[in-house]
Amino acid sequence: MSQSSTRRAGTFLIGGTEAHTTRSLSALFLPILAVGAVLALVPLWLGDSRVLMGVAVLGLAFACYVIGFNVIFGSTGQLFLCVGALAGVGGFGATILADNLGLPILLSILVATLAATITGGLLSFIAVKRSLGVIFTGIVTLIFTLSFDALLLGLTQLTGGDTGRVIHAGADTFLRERIPPYYLMLALVVLFLLIHGLLRRSHIGWAFRALRDDEVAAELAGVDVARYRVYGALIGAAMLGLAGSTYVFTEGRLSPTTFGFGHVDVVVLVMLAFGGIGTLFGPIVGAITFTIVDEILIDFGQLRQVAYGILVIVLFLWMPRGLIPTVVSVWRRARGRVDVVRIVEDPARDGGNPTYPRKEKQNDVSK
Amino acid sequence: MMANILDGIVLGLQFGLLAAGLTLIYGLGGVLNLGYGQMAVTSAMTVAFALDADIPILPAVGLGLLAGGLFGLLLDLTLLRPVYRLRGEARVLLSLLLTLGVSFIIDGYLNWRYPLKALSLHIGGGAVEILGVLMRRGSLVASGITLVTITGLFVFFRYTSLGRAIRSVIENEDGARLIGIDPKKMLRLILVLSGVLAALVAVTRSMVAPVDTTSGLSITVFALIVTVVGGLGNVAGALIAGIILGIVNIVAADLIGSYISLILLLVAAGVTILIRPAGILGVRE
Repeated sequence: MSQSSTRRAGTFLIGGTEAHTTRSLSALFLPILAVGAVLALVPLWLGDSRVLMGVAVLGLAFACYVIGFNVIFGSTGQLFLCVGALAGVGGFGATILADNLGLPILLSILVATLAATITGGLLSFIAVKRSLGVIFTGIVTLIFTLSFDALLLGLTQLTGGDTGRVIHAGADTFLRERIPPYYLMLALVVLFLLIHGLLRRSHIGWAFRALRDDEVAAELAGVDVARYRVYGALIGAAMLGLAGSTYVFTEGRLSPTTFGFGHVDVVVLVMLAFGGIGTLFGPIVGAITFTIVDEILIDFGQLRQVAYGILVIVLFLWMPRGLIPTVVSVWRRARGRVDVVRIVEDPARDGGNPTYPRKEKQNDVSK
Repeated sequence: MMANILDGIVLGLQFGLLAAGLTLIYGLGGVLNLGYGQMAVTSAMTVAFALDADIPILPAVGLGLLAGGLFGLLLDLTLLRPVYRLRGEARVLLSLLLTLGVSFIIDGYLNWRYPLKALSLHIGGGAVEILGVLMRRGSLVASGITLVTITGLFVFFRYTSLGRAIRSVIENEDGARLIGIDPKKMLRLILVLSGVLAALVAVTRSMVAPVDTTSGLSITVFALIVTVVGGLGNVAGALIAGIILGIVNIVAADLIGSYISLILLLVAAGVTILIRPAGILGVRE
């Protein structure tokens, strides 16, 4: 398994099919609206079961989290291991504002989203200012997650501690009915997809691609890497906060595991890696797939965790770029466009090892 | 107060030893092993089952250490193979994700199969008075073993040619290769050693508090925090950081309650990363 696997390993996480700017807006909007329309049909199929609709709503919430995480990690390469905590700032914040302080639900959601946005931006700002690498950013945000979890368990009056709490706000509204929450979350998913899609077309998207491909080159070309990293974190954190705070009102219950590291971050990471890091629709593919897988494995209890572990390993070993990029590159190869392997000499980047095969995209050679 | 500080030192020594195993693999191979806590738990369970099978305590502990070492060897021979082909941050990231997968598999399996299993070793005899404080004999034995191990590690790295060879790889992998040291062999050795260290921590920890099937995550987290504060790849830093954080943890837990003390510990780690990214003993590059 020498040559081919080395090549695959070499492209690990270096995002495959970064979307090339589509020229017309409709080419961007149509696929997103099509995905939204297909997902809108789900209640026709599952609508009778309250349990299954709950699962579907949770799946959409996860789709939102994955899109938010994708904007932060996929676009700007910041490994934020605090997806659950940021969504939790939104979720717990909105609950406390609405139930304890009696604010209207909409206002609570907005304020809590703002809090999550600021938190995410602050974490990114610190990481950028101290120029922490991927790993240290991961560790700092992991520390934030652990502190947040400890706080949740400690502040029992506000969070209900281990047992969690019931949310009274919105109890008699459409938020707790069977079908409407699904469309509410679906609207969020479509909104986030549109935002992410537009972002990729804008100058911010260009900056993201530049800084992710080569930070130094981007800086030399005049891209303010620090600023765009913080932008990415702000946008992603806002998505996480909004999704988390909206979701809790449809759920009506809140417990430490709702936003726990093992329940959210890990799952989000797996979903994104499966769908394809940095792709527009990867998060949707990942979220749908794993929501279904999770439902199939539900009877296995703790063994589900084993299954997740195996999946993580298999995914990252054999499909490190995710499903969508892998399928796309197989498709391209089948159509006669070649991927060329070139030996690049880049000792500074590869820690002194001069020969290091890296795959270069040359899609249009045969055109 | 004195009692707290002594307790903190007992805990801190274990933190330090825990972090030493993690930091060595990182420094040597650029591999961040998130399954480290599960290594410890697996060894603890091995000891527990050996004791259930009426094996005397010393051979049982020996089996536990063997299990830890084998775990490390197995990781090196299987999952870490593709990791070694990468370099730099991609290597750390892939190793982190794969070992995270391993930790899920082990945690999930153990919690499913043996949900109530725990290892706690009782060291007989009453309390002993030290500096005017009564200390449990278990804590003292645990600290003694930890201290001996730490001393052994220092002697090994400072005075044996094998230890020096390992340090040379940490310092400069290509240079080490030039003078005929095989970094891969050293890495394998260190993975086995870190497995044994994890097992040792699990055993000594179980003399103070029970180690159960869910302990893996918290062991990994503490090891990670201490490692980061001590500086990645720095064994002496890990030990000092371990002792400081151990004392902070116990004193804070006593003064203001346990969840705040955990947060304080985390904040201390966060601040250290921000002020001195290379760790407390680290040299700024």
